[in-house]
Amino acid sequence: MKLDNRELLDRLAAEYALGTLRGHARRHFERWLVSPQVQVMVNDWEQRLAGLEPALQKITPPAKVWQAIESRLDLGRSRRSTVRWLAIAATVLLAVIGLFTLQPSSPKLVATQQASIEADPQTIYWHVEVLGDNQELDLHVQNVHDLPPGKSHELWALPEGGAPVSLGLLPHTGDHHRVLNAAQRAALAGSKQIAVSLEREGGSPTGTPTEVLFAAPLSRA
Amino acid sequence: MERTDPLPPEIELAQLLQRCAARDSAAFRVLYDKTSPILFARLLRMLRRRSVAEEALQDVYVRIWERAIQYEAHRGRALAWMVTIARYCAIDLMRRERVTLVGDDALAEVADENAAEPGALEKPDRFDDCIGQLSQTTQQCLTLAFVEGRSHDEIARLTSSPLGSVKSWIRRGLISLKECLSAERQTV
Repeated sequence: MKLDNRELLDRLAAEYALGTLRGHARRHFERWLVSPQVQVMVNDWEQRLAGLEPALQKITPPAKVWQAIESRLDLGRSRRSTVRWLAIAATVLLAVIGLFTLQPSSPKLVATQQASIEADPQTIYWHVEVLGDNQELDLHVQNVHDLPPGKSHELWALPEGGAPVSLGLLPHTGDHHRVLNAAQRAALAGSKQIAVSLEREGGSPTGTPTEVLFAAPLSRA
Repeated sequence: MERTDPLPPEIELAQLLQRCAARDSAAFRVLYDKTSPILFARLLRMLRRRSVAEEALQDVYVRIWERAIQYEAHRGRALAWMVTIARYCAIDLMRRERVTLVGDDALAEVADENAAEPGALEKPDRFDDCIGQLSQTTQQCLTLAFVEGRSHDEIARLTSSPLGSVKSWIRRGLISLKECLSAERQTV
């Protein structure tokens, strides 16, 4: 299946939103949801089909459901302690890995995770590689995503149950290498995906993403 | 226990979601209290079994918390956004748990489901006219898929129709619905 076949894509988007796209086909289609074009198609279908939604009812769930959610998301603890705990865990892991991989002559870290920030499978804007134990990033610009004047693209780690943490601005040309600090490493260790936001020049003024443009899953390199 | 008091106001839900995006767990708790009875009822409609619906409800709120940042407040429809997440979670859970729910009573239940209660989501303009132009069978197939979360196979069994026919009714029904709704939009 080619992504440039609009008619086929729209049909898949319709059956995805309706719920009849199942199994492997559904999982496969979900990978395309990072594409803004596909996202628009799915959103349009969700809106069209909303008319099929029956009158809503209310049935109160048992209290144990909230308790389970709270514990899955670790909402009881403060975010600060979670980040600190992750930072300690990351440091310990780093030390353990260090013990087993004592190679003083080859400081170059290997890529352990990667993510492609793409419009569709044919148009990758940035390829991000996480090196070692979340210590460094390699950023490769593959296509240029339009950037309005006076704006910047910023990269974010999206730790589960925590606030997004900036991984710095994204370059618009070439290949770049970046060493991460402890907070960024901890955030990345708890993330299954990363995101790109549109910010004013120089980056987010608030420390949180202003307008998220893309999110992409991290996978093993 | 079932209640029919009105739905929480959209603007309030949208603000709560924005606070969730900023990792405000107190706002998340309020959002849960206001919306979980609605989403739980919706999940039960698809999954039937309470234990499975409770598990799905956990997944739904974990997803809402994680994706709150992707909710676009300017587009509104906060509750519709959450109901969609619930529907998709239910479908995922059916896949994971291999829940197949084919019962003879399903059609009767669907037929009863057009009462105008105070808790209905907003429909697209002229939706009722457009859906009314489809054949009864096609409407029934679309409803079984969307409302009950039934697969092509299950719909074929429930309506005693060949699988190929069900697939083509649904495909053609979706195309007609899109054409009709977009035609109405252009003439407004």
